This record gives sequence, C-alpha cells and structure tokens, in this order.
Amino acid sequence: MTTEKGSASAADEPMVVDDFVALTYHDRLPPETVRFADGLIAGRIIGQRCPQCRRVYVGGKGFCAMCVVVMGPESEIDVADVGVVTGYTIITPVRYYGQTKTEPFVYASVLLDGASSVLGGQEITGIAIDAVREGLRVRAVWKPPEARNYEGHSTRGWGSLAGGIVGFEWTGEPDVPREQYKEFAV
Amino acid sequence: MTEQHDDRHVVTTTLEFPYRRSLGPVIGGFARALAEERIVGVRTQAGDVLVPPTEHDPRTGESVRDGFVDVGPAGEVQSWTWVSEPTERHPIRRPFAFALIRLDGADTALVHAVDAEAIEVMRTGLRVVPMWRAERTGRITDIECFVPAGLEG
Amino acid sequence: MPADDIAIVGWGQTPSVASTDLTEPQLCLAAVNDALAMANIDRHAIGFTCSGSCDYLSGGPFVFISNLEAAGAWPPISESHVEMDGAWALYEAWVRIQHGDIDFALVYGSGKSSPSDPALLFPQQLDPYYLEPLGLDPASLMGMQARALLDSGTATERDFAAVAARSRRAGAANPKAQTLPNGAGESDLDIDALLAAPYVRAPLRAHDLAPAADGAAAVVLATPAKARELTDHPVFIRGIDHRLEPHQPGVRDLADSPSTRLAAQKAGLGANGGGVGVAELYATSSAQELILRAALGLGPDVSVNPSGGALCSDPVMATGLVRIIEAAQRVADGTTRRAVAHAVNGQVLQHNLVCVLEGER
Ligand SMILES: [Zn+2]
Repeated sequence: MTTEKGSASAADEPMVVDDFVALTYHDRLPPETVRFADGLIAGRIIGQRCPQCRRVYVGGKGFCAMCVVVMGPESEIDVADVGVVTGYTIITPVRYYGQTKTEPFVYASVLLDGASSVLGGQEITGIAIDAVREGLRVRAVWKPPEARNYEGHSTRGWGSLAGGIVGFEWTGEPDVPREQYKEFAV
Repeated sequence: MTEQHDDRHVVTTTLEFPYRRSLGPVIGGFARALAEERIVGVRTQAGDVLVPPTEHDPRTGESVRDGFVDVGPAGEVQSWTWVSEPTERHPIRRPFAFALIRLDGADTALVHAVDAEAIEVMRTGLRVVPMWRAERTGRITDIECFVPAGLEG
Repeated sequence: MPADDIAIVGWGQTPSVASTDLTEPQLCLAAVNDALAMANIDRHAIGFTCSGSCDYLSGGPFVFISNLEAAGAWPPISESHVEMDGAWALYEAWVRIQHGDIDFALVYGSGKSSPSDPALLFPQQLDPYYLEPLGLDPASLMGMQARALLDSGTATERDFAAVAARSRRAGAANPKAQTLPNGAGESDLDIDALLAAPYVRAPLRAHDLAPAADGAAAVVLATPAKARELTDHPVFIRGIDHRLEPHQPGVRDLADSPSTRLAAQKAGLGANGGGVGVAELYATSSAQELILRAALGLGPDVSVNPSGGALCSDPVMATGLVRIIEAAQRVADGTTRRAVAHAVNGQVLQHNLVCVLEGER
C-alpha cells in the first residue's frame, strides 16, 4: 500500500491494538431469588414444587419450564441439605483472564434429597479429589450464620448456594445405587 | 413491579472483556497516520474521499482504491449536538459538543468531540481544528478533541 | 412466488416499566402465555418459534436460551433467535411459515434495560475503531440527527415538542406504557412548557427521547386457513420488508430515511402512506418520528402512534414487535382497515422494517 503524500511507517506490519471493555450491571433480584437467599441465610434450602408435574426445583425460577406454569410462594417447600453426587469433573485450571484458581478442583452436580433438579458446579470436600465419584453421599457445609450473605445471586442464573453454603462434604455413608438418581446423571 | 427494595437486593456485577484486534490495511493505515499527527482517507472507485476510511464504498460495496489521501486537519461542522452532562465514557469531562465533521478534502464526515466551551459557540458550518495528544498510539482518541479554528491556542 | 398473507391471531405484552424485578424469562412467560390464550391454541400446535433479544442489555450470557423456557421448549421444539428487535423475529417466522408445512409460529421479543445505563452500554454496538472509543451514546447520535433535520428547514424544535406532547397524551391512556411525569396535552401552553425544559442533547430535551424500559411482547402467526378457523376478524400481513443503511453516520443523510422508504415500497405500502389509517412507528426521538412520517409519506389524516409509541415506553428489543401488535390491535378492533407498523434496529434509523397490516372489514 502506498500513500499519496508521505508514507505510513512500517506499513507492511499488521497493526494490532488492545481494547478493554468493562460493563457494569445492577441487578434487582427477583422475588423468588430473594426468598431463596433469605432462606440460605436462615439455614434453609427452599425449593419450588410445580403444581402440575410436582417436580421440585432448587432454586426455583418462579415457573416450571416443563409445564410453563408460574410457581409462587405457595409452591415453596424446604429440601434437605444432604444429597448425592450425580456427575462431576475435575478441572485443572489453565491461565486466562479472571481465573483465580491454581490447583485442580472438583466441579460436581448434587441432587438434594427431595429435589428434582441438580445443583451444578459444587465443590466436594472431605475426600481426595481422585476418589470423588457418582453416587457419593454428601452434606452441605454451611457458612457460620454471621458470614452468610447475598453472594452469588443474580438475575441471570438460579440456584447459587454461595450465600450460605461453601460446598459439600462426603458424609462417609455408603454410595447411593445409580438406579436411584440415574434420571439426573449426566 | 416497581416496588422499592433495600440495597441488599441489588447485586452489582462488572463484566470485563479484554480484546486484541488486528486493524487490517485500511483502518490500520488510518491509525498509523494518527500516530504521526496526520489524518488520512481513502478514495472510492468513483473518486470520493472517505474519512474515516472503510474497506468498501458504502454506496456500491466496491473495494476502495489502494493508497491514502491526506485530509484536513481542519474541517467544517456538518451537524452537532450539545452534551450538557458528559458520561464517564465521553472524551471530555465538561459540557461539549459531539459533531459530524467534514475534514477539508473529504466527502464524508467523521464523528468527534468539539470542545467549544459554550453551546453558543457551536453552529453548523463552524470551522474546527484537531487538538492532538502528546502521546499518540494510533487510536481515534489520539485526537483529544476538535476546537473552533482560531481558538487552538 | 407471491407470499401468502400470513395472519396475526394472538398477541400479548407485559406492561413496560422503567425497572422490574422479574427476570427476562418471567417477562417472556407472561407475554407468550397471553398471546397463546388470545389465539386460543395449545402451545404444542406451534411449528416454529423465533425470539429477539440482546444478552448485553442485562449482561447475562445465554439469557436468550433461558427465555426459551417461556415458550415451553420440551419436548424439543424448532426454534431460532435473532440478536435484534422482536419485529425481526416476526420477519423470520413469517418467512418460515411460508414453507407451507406448519400452521402456527410463535414470536417474542424481550429486554431488560434497567440493569445497565444505556448511555454507557450502547457505545458497544458501534464499531470499535472510530465510534465506540468516543463513548458515543444513542442520545448524542439522535441529537446530531435532530440538528440535521432542523438544518434541512423541514422541522422546528416546536414540531419536536408537539410530537412529544401528542405521544405522552396518547401514552397516558395506554395501560402498557410507562407513566411519565409532566404528562402534556396538545395545547400551545403544554408545548411551551415542554420547550422550557433543559436540553439533554441539544436540540433534544428529555421528552424528545425514548425512555428505555423493561418488557416483553409476543405474537402468534397463522396460515390464512387456520386464521379463518380461529377468528372472524383475522389481521393479515399484506407485506413486510426491511432495509439497511451503512454503519458510519457520516456517510448517511441523517435527516432522511431512504431505507424506510425502500422497505415501505417493497412491502407494498403504496404512495402517500398507502391509505393507512394508523401508523405505529418505532421512533426513539421526536425528530425521528418526523423523518419516518416523511419517508412513509404519511399525511396529517393518519393517526401516528395512538399507543403513545416509544417516546412513552421503549422496552428495547420488544418495542418494534409492540408497534406491530398495537397496529394489529387497531385493525382487529375496526379502528382502521389498513395500518402500517415500523421497527428499527441499530443506531439513528440505520435499519428499518415496515409491515403492512390489513383486516377484512
Ligand atoms: Zn411442571
């Protein structure tokens, strides 16, 4: 490429620029998320039971996506803080912008007793990570009451337990037979 | 749906996106010229000078001709608006004008900020000149803003 | 092959409000269920679903996938999404239903603008080289456009205020629109009061600019045969088309909208407004309404934005679809036999869609 007047420097080299975009959002939490978050702070895990299909969602989105019907406060029930690992992976962190982890960690799906939806992305403790397996019985590890807060809740996802629960630990009980959770296994 | 909530029901999140872009020959040429305190355009097959330059003639979709044409640096305001309360993303932190500026020798207009001190100074047809940053990196903001001709100090 | 006259047989819209604490899927659910109830069909009769939304508005990755739950996506459905106003989702569904193998299509558009500041977010829709680094916000672009219109000699700031006053008066009677302060009438006194307000982006004042809102809207489309089975007064889409102008504002004549004019021609609107009684136009500034009226050739006898239009409520990503709904409503209730709806995408009327609607009475 030539110029009519003067010449651009090093014009044959591709010009590369860095750009950094930061976008800030202020989310007003939806009513069912507020009730779910308040439940965690009070040491309860609240599920929403569909009036039509009876599935129990933790946490609820305010509607059943299978039946497309609204679920309000009247649909809410407590579910247990113990459950079963239905699937997992072990993540070896690679370096990318925003990654804070440096050591391999477990990323597990947990089906709480009485629930019909799994909680994704849970950490499992009390057992070596190479011993984590499907069917493992686990119990919620609660934050001390004074440390519980609204962490992790947003309008763009549901079911974060981070405000009240740091993860799940192995109960030491025998594994749950796959027959009992296979509908939820990945 | 409009009830008031206390603040703990409002969650603030900042999403961050780091990008790296290769500018290509046309925008890259414009960017290199900015770093040298020059403004360049490209010529379409029909002979019009596009500033800011694009790879194609917006009217025909044809590739523009090879080579750059120096334009400006002064130009004329074609349209403008007065920003009485700048946002944190705007290039000027006090009231200013955004303007479509047709630089001398160009057939299209470039958007940039005009630091005119007061709305009364602004008018369509106003002659403006660029104020260059001392440190230039090949970005449109290498031009800090334009100012009315004669006020460039 | 000439397009079949697809009909609109159901619609729904949430109230559009400055800020809701409902999630976007919840907004979609309300609009979709209302539209299906009005059409009086089961959701499983839907052969194709298309939605329009923008994840950047609320900052949620794959919100458009969550929204799909509002359509009832199990068992798996045939669906598509456009990162555009719901009016373009309707366009895609209109094309899809022409294939002749389905009876019904569901369309919805949704957006939550309240979590972010449009003035800070929207520069992100502009090119990252020349415009975005300046933080160029929609209102500033609209200010430059309004100035270009004033300079063309075809409008005055008083004309802008008259558009705003008429829109606010109409919007006050629309339960789905926002309740705005300083509701104004059409008298000179009211217009004087509006003109006394400070500029936000001179020559535009707050009332000249569409207030972003949260909301959702949905429409059910049907083949002509199914439409006649369902209703005695189907609303037919006689033509629909959309056209695009270049991205850079400096290569366009901002005081005109040639893409609207061309889309109207291709949609078969006809000369001088094509005999429509009602026009619902997605103008995000009062000046844009004047530009659109001129491009569509609408005379003073046409009722423009009887809903109040976007100047009363702009549920971004649903607003264009709402215009089609508001126009269809007035054809269905016999207010007019023929109406035109307009939707916009991009900045300062860059991309325009025109939809001509007609009833049989
Ligand atoms: Zn259900």
